[in-house]
This record gives sequence, structure tokens and C-alpha cells, in this order.
Amino acid sequence: MQGDFLQETYEGGLKGVVRRRVEEFLSRQGLRYDKGIQYTVVLYDRQGEVAATGSLEKNVLKCIAVDEKWRGEGLTATVVSALLSQAFQQNRQHLFLFTKPRNKQMFLEFGFYEISRTEDILLMENKKDGIDSFVASLRRGQGSQGAVVANCNPFTLGHRYLIEQAAKACDTLHLFVLSEDASLFPADVRMELVKKGTAHLPNVLVHPTSDYLISSATFPTYFLKEEQIEKGAGGQLDLVVFGQHFAPALDIRCRFVGQEPFSPITALYNKQMQEILPRFGIQVVEIPRKEEGGAAISASRVRALLAEGKMDEVRALVPDTTWEFLQSPAGQDIARKAGESR
Amino acid sequence: MEIKKAAVAGTMESSDVYVEIKPASDIAVQIESVVAQQFGEEIERVVRQVLEENGVKGAHVSLNDKGAVECVIRARVETAIRRGEGERDQ
Repeated sequence: MQGDFLQETYEGGLKGVVRRRVEEFLSRQGLRYDKGIQYTVVLYDRQGEVAATGSLEKNVLKCIAVDEKWRGEGLTATVVSALLSQAFQQNRQHLFLFTKPRNKQMFLEFGFYEISRTEDILLMENKKDGIDSFVASLRRGQGSQGAVVANCNPFTLGHRYLIEQAAKACDTLHLFVLSEDASLFPADVRMELVKKGTAHLPNVLVHPTSDYLISSATFPTYFLKEEQIEKGAGGQLDLVVFGQHFAPALDIRCRFVGQEPFSPITALYNKQMQEILPRFGIQVVEIPRKEEGGAAISASRVRALLAEGKMDEVRALVPDTTWEFLQSPAGQDIARKAGESR
Repeated sequence: MEIKKAAVAGTMESSDVYVEIKPASDIAVQIESVVAQQFGEEIERVVRQVLEENGVKGAHVSLNDKGAVECVIRARVETAIRRGEGERDQ
């Protein structure tokens, strides 16, 4: 059976003719070839037509589809096996998978378990109870509890203001710092600067997000450049994961978020938050941005100033702890990188 | 033989078995199989035997079996072990 198909693998995103053919094939199945894909498997039938395909983006299996006429031949198994062995070769062991909710049973048989779903996306992972055991490992708070989820790339006076306001409004504030390493400041540096920058607030618990909040798995479009974002691409799934797994386990009743004057994707996410989280009994509180020099403080403004080498202006937007880091050799390296990527 | 890194072998196609092996201090075998009811114990025995024959003292092995026969299971587990020791590739 498998002998009737030719298997080709492609490193990097598909290009040219193959890309057009795979895009066409996927669109017939109601799927899109996502930007950011790094590896694609295509099975061709004897006529040289695309019979099945699947792709890998970091640790996420996606865009998996089989032609109608080849259903029941076990082609999904071939595609998924090829993607799994590629992921393992890159030493990625904790894997996620996007599919349509109706395909759940099939992927259960390949060792994937459901995390959450929206109307048209099902997110699965290859660890049984992976997300719930992660959430169970987080420190518990007490009393009325709220949460902030932030990238803090890097930690600014704006973040500090938001967190101080939020911490005043509840007994315990859970502060989640994105673990995904897709930002100018590496995850461990961001985490460290947040811990130092909030050390004066005793009721703030700082947590990593692992792959479970605003990650390639839950919210892939968050990390795309602005011009790559298509309409409607948003964080519904991410918010459902938060509402379904994080909030009940930690007894979070309130999510605080900074008003977003700049980034369209974050603005959309905030709007979706207002729609989705109340369904899980979570109140959403938007806090106005702190301003400095007539404009809102934001990490993107800090990065732009770093890139331009305007350190005096950066100084006015970050707390001492972040400033100290920026003066260190590691901090200067990052500023240089920001300048180069302009 | 020491398992130094996580590795996989096999596929989830019918009559094959997909094997993952990870470094660990003890031996643990986890089996998902379409024929678990009839052959689960037999499969586990084969896996443990292959580990022992190759002198593996610490590894967590998980199998997703789609009805593979014994020689296939042996071959896939052995390949996973070779890849996991990280010397001879493939």
C-alpha cells in the first residue's frame, strides 16, 4: 500500500511550484499552509498528484491532510510518523498537534491527547495530562486571585505599573511570563528581569508558561511580524486553554491586561479576551497604559530606542533592575542585535 | 549500553510499531497497542528482553503498536536503542 506512494520531505517552508500545489491541496480541505512552517512531508500518488501532506513548525504538527480518495489507506500514519521522527531528530520531545475537532479519534490512536478546542481547531499534545500536571506544579495563592500574562520583552516601567495596579486589586496575583524563545530578549533573561522588577510585591507569584500560554502551540500568529498577520487570526484557542485549565486549577477569577495602543494582534487578543473569558467566570480588567514623555510606555518602544542607540530615552522607561541588565555585557549584546535587525 | 538521548524508531503504519526511548535511571515500558488485550504482556516481555540483550540498564520506552509481529518489534526497539546511544546514527 505504502509502496504506491512516493514520499518527499522538504526542509524549510515550501517554495515555488510545490508550495502552490500543496496550498491548493490544503485549501480544498479548508486548510491553509501556515507561515513559519519549517518542514513538510508530501506523499504523491502514481499520477504525481498530492495524496497527503503534513508539516512541522517548531514543536507543532499542523496542516495535516489526506485526499478524499485515499482515505482509509493509512496515509495519515505515514505522514505523522515522518513528522515525529523529524521532531525527535531536532530533540523536540514535547509535541503539539493542530487538527479539526472531528479528527480527534484518529490522532488519539497516534498517541496525542486533547488540550482544548474551539469550534474549528483542536489542540492536542503527546503527553497524557501534560497541561494539567504542568498547572498542578505551579505555586498556589490564596484569597481572591488574579492573573497577568505578559512577554516582558523587556520588563518596563509600564509592566511594573500594570502589575502594581493588578496586585493591589487582589490577594494573590499570578504573573505568567512567556516561555517561548521567539523574542529579542531570551526567556531566561525576561524571567529574571520580571522577578527582580516585582520583588517588592509580596503577593505576586511569577510563573513560566511552558508551551501552554501564548506559545507556538496555542497562539502561533502572536509571533509573526505585523505584516504577516491575516484578518481574524487570533488567540481564541489560547484564551480557551487559559479558561479551561489555568483558571480553575489556580482559582483565578480575574485577568488584568494593559490597554494596547500599538500592536494590532495584541489589541485583537484583548478584544477576544473580553468575549471569551467571561464564559469561564473570569472578569477581564483593562488597565490604562502608564505614559512617559507624552506617549504610552511599551516594550516595543524600548526595543526601538535600543535599536537606535537612544539610551537616555530608554533609561526613562525601564526600572533600575532592567537598566542594570542593559548595561551589562549580555545586555549590550542584545542592544547590538536590536540595532542589526532594524 | 547507555541511552544518552531521546530517540524514535518505526512508524504508526499498520503492522508496524512506533518506539520512543528516553534516558532514565530505571527501566519502564509503556505500551499502547491495538492488540494490547491479547498480546500486551507478550510485547512487554519482548521489549524487556531486547533491552537486556543490549545491556540497557536505564531507559523509558514507550510503544505505539499497530499490530507488529515479534521480529518487527525487536528490530524497532533495537534501532531505537542504537539511535539513543547516539554513536552510530540511523
